[in-house]
Amino acid sequence: MTYVVTENCIKCKYMDCVEVCPVDCFYAGENMLVIHPDECIDCGVCEPECPAEAIVPDTAPGLDKWLKLNAEYAQIWPNIVAKGTPPADAEAFDGQPDKFEKYFSSQPGEDDTARAPDEAAANP
Amino acid sequence: MDAHRQTALEPGPACCASCAAEEPACFDRITEPAIRLLVDRFYARVRKDADLGPIFARAIKDWDPHLATMRDFWSSIMLTSGRYHGNPVAAHRKLEGLTPQLFERWLTLFAETCGELFEEALAANFMDKARRIATSLQLALFYRPEHDRPRSAP
Repeated sequence: MTYVVTENCIKCKYMDCVEVCPVDCFYAGENMLVIHPDECIDCGVCEPECPAEAIVPDTAPGLDKWLKLNAEYAQIWPNIVAKGTPPADAEAFDGQPDKFEKYFSSQPGEDDTARAPDEAAANP
Repeated sequence: MDAHRQTALEPGPACCASCAAEEPACFDRITEPAIRLLVDRFYARVRKDADLGPIFARAIKDWDPHLATMRDFWSSIMLTSGRYHGNPVAAHRKLEGLTPQLFERWLTLFAETCGELFEEALAANFMDKARRIATSLQLALFYRPEHDRPRSAP
């Protein structure tokens, strides 16, 4: 069993989940994250941390598409272990419909965690 | 600062009256000291257990860092402290002789220890997490053994 990142992460990518994940099982695309299903230990710590409420347990109904997407891109995208800078317009996209069709990017994320030292220091 | 730490190294006599008597502590909230007591008391019990003791004795040569790791783990799980970062699936794949029965035994001892130390609802919170993680580890170990590979460095 595992947790799964779903549509509302797209273009929100707050990354609060990354900070609390004990097993570093998040992988970063250009505008969303995914969870590696073989590394997630189902602890559920990330679920309430997501401001976009995009993380759900795989026991929820209708997740086939997202299970496949998480499994596929966790093999391709880079591992992310520290929160970077969320998109400036993240809030504007929070809750928008059809984000996958409109905005999903298969490109890997850039490692921008080094660009937020002040934030990291403020949240040890 | 750290009265429990000394005795945590050994499964023998405990360091204080509470530990020695294994008295119910009944914490009404989850704190770092409560997690410390839980981890130390639980693993003292594991080490004495006929089924689990030999498995852990083979795997853990130096208990002090292991107990520190497990305190960090449960702190990260229950208090979202973010202190633990590791790969428990890979750590368990290195162990020989694990069976579903041993996971059940682990859960039984953990439930006993949580039940002694925490109020009922809090003990249930610990057990909910412990059962989910145990299930997840068993799925990885017993149903996905082909994925035995080191993870790439971040």
